[in-house]
Amino acid sequence: MNRFKRAVLWAALIAVVLLTWLSIYGAFVGAERARGFFNSLPLAVYWFASIALLVAGIFLFRRLTRVPALLLMHVGCILVVIGAMWGSKAGHAMQKNLLGVDKIPEGQMGIYEQMEENRVQVADGNNVGELPFFVRLKDFRMEYYEPGQLIVQSRAGQTWRMPAEAGQTLSLGDGLGTVAIQRVFENFKIDIQQDEPVAYDEPGGSNPALEVTIERPGAPLGRRYVFERRPGHRNPNDPLAMSYIKMVSDYVSELEIVADGKVVATKDIEVNHPLHYGGYHFYQHRYGEDRFGEYTVLMVVSDSGLNVVYAGYILLIGGILWHFWGRRALDRLRTRPAITADAPGEYQ
Amino acid sequence: MEIKYTIQGILIYSTIVVYLLAFVVTIAGRARAGRWLFFGGFLVAATSFVYRWLDVRHVPLQNLFEVFLCLGAICYPISWICRRFLRIGGQWADMLIGAIVLFPAGFVFHARPMQLPPALQSWLFAPHVAVYMLAYIFMAKAAFQAGEQLLNRRPRIEQTWIPPEQATYELIGIGFPLLTLGLLLGSWWGKLAWGHYWGWDPKELWSLASWLVYIGYFHWRYMYGKKLPRLNSLWALTGMATIIITLLWVNLSRIFAGLHSYAT
Repeated sequence: MNRFKRAVLWAALIAVVLLTWLSIYGAFVGAERARGFFNSLPLAVYWFASIALLVAGIFLFRRLTRVPALLLMHVGCILVVIGAMWGSKAGHAMQKNLLGVDKIPEGQMGIYEQMEENRVQVADGNNVGELPFFVRLKDFRMEYYEPGQLIVQSRAGQTWRMPAEAGQTLSLGDGLGTVAIQRVFENFKIDIQQDEPVAYDEPGGSNPALEVTIERPGAPLGRRYVFERRPGHRNPNDPLAMSYIKMVSDYVSELEIVADGKVVATKDIEVNHPLHYGGYHFYQHRYGEDRFGEYTVLMVVSDSGLNVVYAGYILLIGGILWHFWGRRALDRLRTRPAITADAPGEYQ
Repeated sequence: MEIKYTIQGILIYSTIVVYLLAFVVTIAGRARAGRWLFFGGFLVAATSFVYRWLDVRHVPLQNLFEVFLCLGAICYPISWICRRFLRIGGQWADMLIGAIVLFPAGFVFHARPMQLPPALQSWLFAPHVAVYMLAYIFMAKAAFQAGEQLLNRRPRIEQTWIPPEQATYELIGIGFPLLTLGLLLGSWWGKLAWGHYWGWDPKELWSLASWLVYIGYFHWRYMYGKKLPRLNSLWALTGMATIIITLLWVNLSRIFAGLHSYAT
């Protein structure tokens, strides 16, 4: 290996070690600051230098072109960096200046149920961008794991859990008595009938609650309502605290894409299942309710550069799998049992 | 410290005891008996993993308790593959690694079953975590071989095990594709779940750092081959150190709060 080649290899090694340290630094400063740091001008110089080094390596080291797997790995890395740069905010600005493509890199849009919207609050700024189509929210809903759980806690810190189903009982022992779930309400309401409060389930709404009785030796039967959304206050003399937990299994927004007054795409988006349309991905991000009704907040992310990054991933993993496993397995099959302790195989 | 007075706990403690027994028997020169005990421990560990799976009704790789349970179960198959096909020794160390990784599952992390949050309900969940677990055990074995090399311990002549430096290289060569696969599957999943294939999250950055250390190892070894075996071994040990930080410190320390915090 001549001195120039060795110098390039050393530069590559230094670049790898530098990125390792920068990654560790990024891990300490948190995701937001790390994102800013890795998108800063000095790091842009680093990314360009890395691409230059990888390209120089491919041209200088004949081995990288002679061994296809090694070539795939290195080209894969180049594609990942180029794709990531193309999809960055600076990349979007460049696309606008050079190609006239004006895309919103990333932002959020809030939509009320049965309404449509095309304005996007651009991330990291006060600007509002507009999509060339509208997104309509037909419905938003949350799905839960059934049954929920009733959590009982004693003042001594002991905790018990039981499925939130009518008829379930739990003996707490040590004079704390027995807890029994009498009724499960989807939409708890209470009414006064003949001067007595009467709890009932009203169809349509959502106010999950449990009716729980507590039976203690030598004490009258206690009755309590435990609400999922309004935990309520705890009496300091009460030996037991209870909470009703229903864990969300999914958030679903039923979306329609409307362009020129026509519905051109529909999808129920949920976590792990975004909608892809018109060069953007739409993700379920938040939800809420105010005086105008229920709304969902979608995260809108441009897909610029994404295919290049994925192509890089495929080349990278394809090259690595072939180089480290495929070639080795094939060699072993061909030369079996030629590999000995004195002459072990090499990957390089 | 949390002792588990449950069937799950009994299975974990039994595995630890059998693995340690296998280790002691092997060290005492009864390698064959040690291997059978190790296999017995694996059967208990596998039962423990399947029991957990049935209990929580999803692949038990959601939190650190389940991850360590999985690590304890895959030690034996990996050890067997290394012995049978790669002629890499150090089985007594595998027995010890098996007992060590089950210790946090048995005594540190709680075993309360948890339902999967929406982000984890993806087909990518199991392969992403599973390939990382396999990679970690291969890299742990590589680090052990690197330690052997640094201590100048060579296999006895009558044994057919390959030398520690070469064994380190072979093991990293098997673990590295798994490490890469874990990184890329995680990136793809991150895009589907959170909107970004790379979120600069502390866990992501530490996994990238681990991956880069092994990239550095391969380039270094390409440059110097076996001329500087001690430095080769130091690369391998550094890689394992970053893996331990990625697996444990990032999840347990408040310094690194991020998107992967649910894994605690």
